[in-house]
Amino acid sequence: MIPARGGTRTSSSSRTKRTISRSVLALGLVLGCVSAVKREDFKTCAQSGFCTRNRAYAELAKETPQWISPFQLNPSSLRLQGGILTGDLINIEEDKQPSSKSGLAFELHLLDNDSVRVRINERDPIHPRYDGVKDTVLIKPYGMANENSYQKLAKDDSGVLTIQYGNKNQNTIKVNSAPFKIEFLVNGVSTVVLNDEGLLKFERLRKKQEEAAQEKEIVDEDKLVDQGDENKDDEVKIEKSELETKLEANMWEEKFKEYTDSKPRGPESFGMDITFSGIDHVYGIPQHASSLSLKATKGTDAPYNEPYRLYNLDVFEYEVDNPMALYGSIPFMLGHSKNNTAAVFWMNAAETWIDVEKSPEDKTGGILSWIKTKKPVSAPSTKTHWISEAGVLDLFVFLGPTHRDIFRQYTSLVGTTALPQAFSIAYHQCRWNYNTQQDVAEVDAGFDEHDIPYDVLWLDIEHTNGKRYFTWDHAKFPDPMDMQRALGAKGRKMVTIIDPHIKKDNDYYVSKEGAELDVYIKNKDGNSDFDGWCWPGSSQWIDFYNPKARDWWASQFSYDRYVGSTNTLFTWNDMNEPSVFSGPEITIPKDVIHYGNMEHRNVHNLYGTMFHSATAQGLTQRNETNQRPFVLSRAFFAGTQRFGAIWTGDNLATWEHLEVASPMLLTIGLAGIPFSGADVGGFFGNPEPELLTRWYQAGIYYPFFRAHAHLDSKRREPWLFGEPYTTQMREAIRTRYSFLPFWYTLFQESSVDGMPIIRPMFVEFPEDEAVFGMDDQYMVGNALLVKPVSKPGVTRSTVYFAGTEKWFGIKDYSVEQGPGAKEVASPADKIPVYQRAGTIVPKRERPRRSSKAMENDPFTLVIALDSNGEATGRIYLDDGESFDYQTGDYILREFKVADKVLTSRNLKPADAGETSEFVKRAGALRIERLVVLGSTVPLKEVTVDGRAVQVECSQAPTDGSYVCTVKEPKVLIGEDFSIAFA
Amino acid sequence: MKTYPACLPLLATLALSIAVAKAQTNDRNSLRGVSPSNAKLYVPNASNHWTCLNGSKTIPFSAINDDYCDCADGSDEPGHIATDIKSSRVNDGVCDPECCDGSDEFDGRIHCPNVCDEVGVEARKEQERVRRIQEEGSRLRKGYIQHGKTTKLKLQQELEILKAKTDQVKAAAVDAKENLDKITEEYEAFLESSKKDREAEREAQLQPFIQEQIKRLNRAKETKGHLHRTLQDLRENHNKNYHDMAVKEMVSEYDDYVTSLGDSHTVFELLTPTDGSHQSEPGNSADTLLDRLIEDTAIIQREITSLHDILMGLRHEYNTEYNDEAVLEAVKVAVEFDSQWNTERQEFNDELPLDVPEADADKVPESGAIKNESDMAQAEFDRATDEEVKVQNTIKDIERKLNIDFSLDETFAELLDQCFDFKDADKFSNWEGDNYSVQKYTGGSKCWNGPERSVRLEMTCGAKNEILSVTEPEKCEYHFKMQTPAVCPVLPDSESGNDGNGAGNVPQSVAYSEERKDEVKRHDEL
Repeated sequence: MIPARGGTRTSSSSRTKRTISRSVLALGLVLGCVSAVKREDFKTCAQSGFCTRNRAYAELAKETPQWISPFQLNPSSLRLQGGILTGDLINIEEDKQPSSKSGLAFELHLLDNDSVRVRINERDPIHPRYDGVKDTVLIKPYGMANENSYQKLAKDDSGVLTIQYGNKNQNTIKVNSAPFKIEFLVNGVSTVVLNDEGLLKFERLRKKQEEAAQEKEIVDEDKLVDQGDENKDDEVKIEKSELETKLEANMWEEKFKEYTDSKPRGPESFGMDITFSGIDHVYGIPQHASSLSLKATKGTDAPYNEPYRLYNLDVFEYEVDNPMALYGSIPFMLGHSKNNTAAVFWMNAAETWIDVEKSPEDKTGGILSWIKTKKPVSAPSTKTHWISEAGVLDLFVFLGPTHRDIFRQYTSLVGTTALPQAFSIAYHQCRWNYNTQQDVAEVDAGFDEHDIPYDVLWLDIEHTNGKRYFTWDHAKFPDPMDMQRALGAKGRKMVTIIDPHIKKDNDYYVSKEGAELDVYIKNKDGNSDFDGWCWPGSSQWIDFYNPKARDWWASQFSYDRYVGSTNTLFTWNDMNEPSVFSGPEITIPKDVIHYGNMEHRNVHNLYGTMFHSATAQGLTQRNETNQRPFVLSRAFFAGTQRFGAIWTGDNLATWEHLEVASPMLLTIGLAGIPFSGADVGGFFGNPEPELLTRWYQAGIYYPFFRAHAHLDSKRREPWLFGEPYTTQMREAIRTRYSFLPFWYTLFQESSVDGMPIIRPMFVEFPEDEAVFGMDDQYMVGNALLVKPVSKPGVTRSTVYFAGTEKWFGIKDYSVEQGPGAKEVASPADKIPVYQRAGTIVPKRERPRRSSKAMENDPFTLVIALDSNGEATGRIYLDDGESFDYQTGDYILREFKVADKVLTSRNLKPADAGETSEFVKRAGALRIERLVVLGSTVPLKEVTVDGRAVQVECSQAPTDGSYVCTVKEPKVLIGEDFSIAFA
Repeated sequence: MKTYPACLPLLATLALSIAVAKAQTNDRNSLRGVSPSNAKLYVPNASNHWTCLNGSKTIPFSAINDDYCDCADGSDEPGHIATDIKSSRVNDGVCDPECCDGSDEFDGRIHCPNVCDEVGVEARKEQERVRRIQEEGSRLRKGYIQHGKTTKLKLQQELEILKAKTDQVKAAAVDAKENLDKITEEYEAFLESSKKDREAEREAQLQPFIQEQIKRLNRAKETKGHLHRTLQDLRENHNKNYHDMAVKEMVSEYDDYVTSLGDSHTVFELLTPTDGSHQSEPGNSADTLLDRLIEDTAIIQREITSLHDILMGLRHEYNTEYNDEAVLEAVKVAVEFDSQWNTERQEFNDELPLDVPEADADKVPESGAIKNESDMAQAEFDRATDEEVKVQNTIKDIERKLNIDFSLDETFAELLDQCFDFKDADKFSNWEGDNYSVQKYTGGSKCWNGPERSVRLEMTCGAKNEILSVTEPEKCEYHFKMQTPAVCPVLPDSESGNDGNGAGNVPQSVAYSEERKDEVKRHDEL
């Protein structure tokens, strides 16, 4: 303890006056300085041995005239059978005498969904390289291309093997043997090229003793040479040895700050370049606080000088516009040009770095490129260099040809989003912390008093007894079940936080059981449990690679185990990168050991997802009747979408962080996770009311919509800032609720075909080059255009209206005509949001306390007619909480306007299964209102089966078209109907 | 046209008998959700149409309450904008307690039973309880008001008297000052004659002590600078990712400490070694110089002690799991420094207190008589000045009290100066809102890593002064709930027990205050 601090402080301050009077120097002492990310806590490529070695190899290739990759396929070894091409891949510098035992095994799989898998592994390593990522990430064995769907063309003179394949025979694969290189063409256009630059490098496992001996020899030789002629060629030698040093950097041990990575297996990294030919915009590889269109990390004028890094890390107060690694990693990259679309999935969960280099023709890109004049047609390319620390080279190439095809191809391998609980796409109220049961009751009452809907109230770590998860601080929360019931009566839920670090404490049942079952991650010795520091102090981390651990963990969520939990309580998994305060880069050391004597370095980026999935399993298992889980995770990897939602981590209450949220979420969505959000308001700091309001207005268009705040921040529930802010925030949140039927329908669509829910402009407008770099506005589904306001004091915003059709303001139905940028009003009470002509959006317009309370409300269809007078849309409805939809308990309908008739048509297959009473009742809810936009003449008569229905029209504010409202057509949401407009 | 039973708000249930309520629901002319006083607004025109209340649109009268919103202001659906409950709660699947007759759910999805009888009994019981509290509270509050008015009157009278006395005491003080000045002058003239010799002698005597003290002052300066630099380095370079609470706390302590030194203060000022010339001013004696040096040293040593405390806190509490270089460096400094420092004496271990000889009074010849005279003049001056200050302070205090907003009827004068210990947040800041029931106190001591402590005090009517609950909704902002007669409604003296509803604005939460009493922490008497 600190003795008598208060006393001494008081006495010292009493002398202040005299000091001031005598003060001569006036050094400006900045107090409470603005804290920011501590960059030096995280590795640069130069501090990472394998990144350095591979980047040096690229440097060597660049500096060597006429560089040719030393890798060659042994032509006589190539076999194509059952859709799989196999062969021996040889490094002519290492394998002087190629034999089937040496070298690398090469495989190329033709999949039945038109994508291709390429694998390179050691043929006969001294011990097996880790190859388990596929078992965790791929949802099921995929189908191989039918024997009839491909044909091998004869090798030509240059040794190129050509395979023509695809459901429409549209894809060509050219396999070049010497040097090794594979080119993928779609409809004859070169799209993706592997090892185009010859950067393939593959470090084979080796024994350390030999290496050490060799090193010694080299050192001795150097000494002799040095003694011989000291001054000669000094410079040349140093330069050469610098690159050499880099090429052999930190192979057997790596020090970073006070930490040492013991690397018991030595160097095992690999890297390869992938060219996206004719493509100047590439996207993906989240998570980075950066732009949607990836920036160059190499080459002249590259905005970044570090590669993009994929390594799940807990980064305190992360910076925007930075390629540093963050909480999640998905090695999926998509390239797009007007003529070309393709993607790759580099299936590796070890630390990975990716360099991006743009071909010299194109240096623009980025957010503002669409303003600039159109460039002459050229064939720019993007060269990427992928470097992973361990495992096997295993990648998929998706050739589309459309975006929809690519998302379907990719998610058919890693899975689509689980259909979420309906409540979980409504509004979540979170804070570190809601302090007591009374506090919870008061916040809940505050929402009711101010008539603001919300669905979920969250409890952060302080609710536990000393950060022991699954326990309650009973002084603060005397009756957690009663608390959940009170909220549940209004259709509301709660979420508690459960982290993967388990407090080391023999009196804590979870800790004790974990020790007894022996399910903790082990130290590098493989025997003792790893012990690190996190919120509860000294802690242990559960090894989710241990099958025993997964089942045990899942069982913790049963109602009798998790005392105080009810079926309205759900889960938040935080700190699962994992965050280890006492570890290198604030995470767990790479050399700790998982089940089966497997080193953590192989699976680091998957750890959080393993935890996430075990938790989701627990929530699913706890119910006798099948209820969907809801689990939010901070760490993520490819496939996370199968287990729940993620958020972008601990952001800041700044305008920059509001702005960067859009590209971050769009990128995460492209990479397969549609259910994502950024903390509304910003986690650290205190947003001014204008920022908070603007964040709510943007946040209602995040798929996962949660407000959250740090312990040290001021309270910021949406009614605490007075008017006009309370009204503005209430209006925003209510807008989200009115669109819930549309959001839920989009989630269902995504769960089937993998389409992102919020979409970059280029996904919806793939032909419009002006939108390829655009990330300050985006689409929700195919229907809503959203332009967040991310600057203070703004009342006008420039919106780019893509396509040749009209756009209708969702609040005032003002009409804008595409294509082109236009300045529109964005006053304090709204951001620009437009519905695209040709779409129909289902809504529920009655404000309620919670989404559950809307279940019985009638629907409104907003129909935006295109220039042909047509529009289509969908609705998906189910009970919102069970898995019964999987056996057909749902409604799926298409609405379509053509030839002045609106029809509703069933899209559910006849053999899909029966609907329950609940869903039948939902189907019997009425459509109370149609809003018809874009009609060039006022609708005079609207009839349903000859029966006239009331309709009123007025002219839209900004053009001559009409807004017509049809009142009570008396048709049901779940049944066929046709309504004639005249 | 469909008619639905009107939702009967709780208060209405209290006012009317159940029988009457039931009769009213059968009134065929009433529109659901339209109160009798508003019935005239819902009348069809000649063509059986009706115009929205905001004039936006004219619709068929049958479109009122047809469960479809025609008017922009929603006025055509009074059944959904009932004042009793919010429209968002009508037909939402939840039986709202405000509608005891269950009429808020009428779409047949769920059945809400009519619990008005039970609710009525309970509510009447509750009402009776509240009435009793209010009666007692009212009685007490009237006493407060009386007390407030009497106090105010008394203070005003006292103020008059004191003001009258002001001139008199002022004059006495001026006289005393003149007398003192005169005698002092004589005394100094007398001393002047022998000054030089005495000073020279004294200076020679003190010189070694002055030199030693300069050395100590410079050592203290150097040490202070070193410790400040150590802590600044710690603040800037420590690893925030480790979330080491001890480090966070010490950095924050340090920031707080530096802040407490004052805005224009810079921690490195005065660090230049001194040769004593800063402290010496022409005409000052060696004693003065030495005093100044000792004082300056002591000030810096106190500061060193504060910094030492912070470093010791770090040393004992930092997390040894981390190897944060900045922290390790600071701990190293702490350990080294701790071995040299005597915390109790606020001095270095090896610096013993200086044994400075007293100035020899006997050397001043014939000082007795005139010194005595001088001392007496000084005493008289002190007395007169004290008297003047006392009168002025009393006037200020009375004026302050008279200026305090004790609400319109002086109710809160009763509570003035009663002990109310709010974790240092003792500066009454202002009333929140217009109805004198919420007070704000600000300017408390600064929190670790947070703002100055503040208190929001919410008062509800109760028969005694009592703190009901204390919460901390955000860091260092405390919410107190208390009951007090001071916010009870003032009931007419001729109050009869059956007429509880007419009595002004009853704070809503009054009903809960009794129930919460048990669970709250007792606090100091108010």
